[in-house]
Amino acid sequence: MIRRTILCLLSILFMINTPAKSQIYFTKNGNISFYSKTILENIQAENNQVISVLNIQTGIIEFSLLNIGFHFSRAKMEEDFNENYMESDKYPRSTFKGTIVDIDKIDFTKDGSWQVNVNGELMIHGIKKNISEPGKIIIKNGNISAKSTFKILIQDFKIRIPTIVTNKIAEEVETTIDCQYEKK
Amino acid sequence: MSTKIKRYFLFLFIVSGLIAAFTVYKIWNKPHQNILNEKAIKLDAAELYNNFIKDSTNANTRLINQVVEVTGKVKQVLKNNRNQKVILLTTDVPGGSVNCTLEKNSGNISAGETVVLKGICIGYIGGELELPGDVFLTRCIQLKKV
Repeated sequence: MIRRTILCLLSILFMINTPAKSQIYFTKNGNISFYSKTILENIQAENNQVISVLNIQTGIIEFSLLNIGFHFSRAKMEEDFNENYMESDKYPRSTFKGTIVDIDKIDFTKDGSWQVNVNGELMIHGIKKNISEPGKIIIKNGNISAKSTFKILIQDFKIRIPTIVTNKIAEEVETTIDCQYEKK
Repeated sequence: MSTKIKRYFLFLFIVSGLIAAFTVYKIWNKPHQNILNEKAIKLDAAELYNNFIKDSTNANTRLINQVVEVTGKVKQVLKNNRNQKVILLTTDVPGGSVNCTLEKNSGNISAGETVVLKGICIGYIGGELELPGDVFLTRCIQLKKV
């Protein structure tokens, strides 16, 4: 009787613990880049040190990056981005916490590409905003990747650009996410 | 105003315009920091990591955006989406690393080796879904193997 109870308890514990752990995928070297087309010069930067966690059971997906990790081709652009626009000293991180709403339609055991919708809260420059954007989950040889391209309005995040340079910086910034996950 | 004075002002105007244009050009095309020649804060990987998890305020002011020279044992060598080599250096925290992205994929680094890398420390991210955080170093160059 005792043996059976212990066995029963153990299997319940196993059922509670195992799936939760094995459903979590992560990367600490994901890629997020942005692009902004202007009359004078196109502005492009990328960050290859993005932490992202994906729970394939619940669909919860999170991203976190250090603003200072964005690289520009011009040192001056990088300096202005951190000092004047993002104020990276004051607001070092940008984050996104959300859910892939249609996670259930993905078969993670098969190779393929799935269009998904993600809802969640984006935080840039200390300002939080709820967004809803499309994305893609790709499964290839059992490896999971997440990709998405969407537009961010810089005024939504109270990023102030001095009028003298406004013609150099577009109000809309195209953001691209590309993360390849490994199992936790 | 005599023609001589007019010419003088025109000359001054052109010269100051050229100086201004040259200054703007120089600032706009300022090169990135040369990591190799920069003075660095020297410390080992575990020490660097502990600085951030034990006293983040102090670490943020002392280490962020600074060139550091870090010595550590290589836990793993990865490649990011841009095909750049990423070297994870072991710390005292299981799952937590000093995460170094190499600027150029030169040299051969394998897991288990002890290396000295020099790069810009951009900070620490941790605490996401119980995932141990990493301290990130960017634009790294490999100085030597120990």
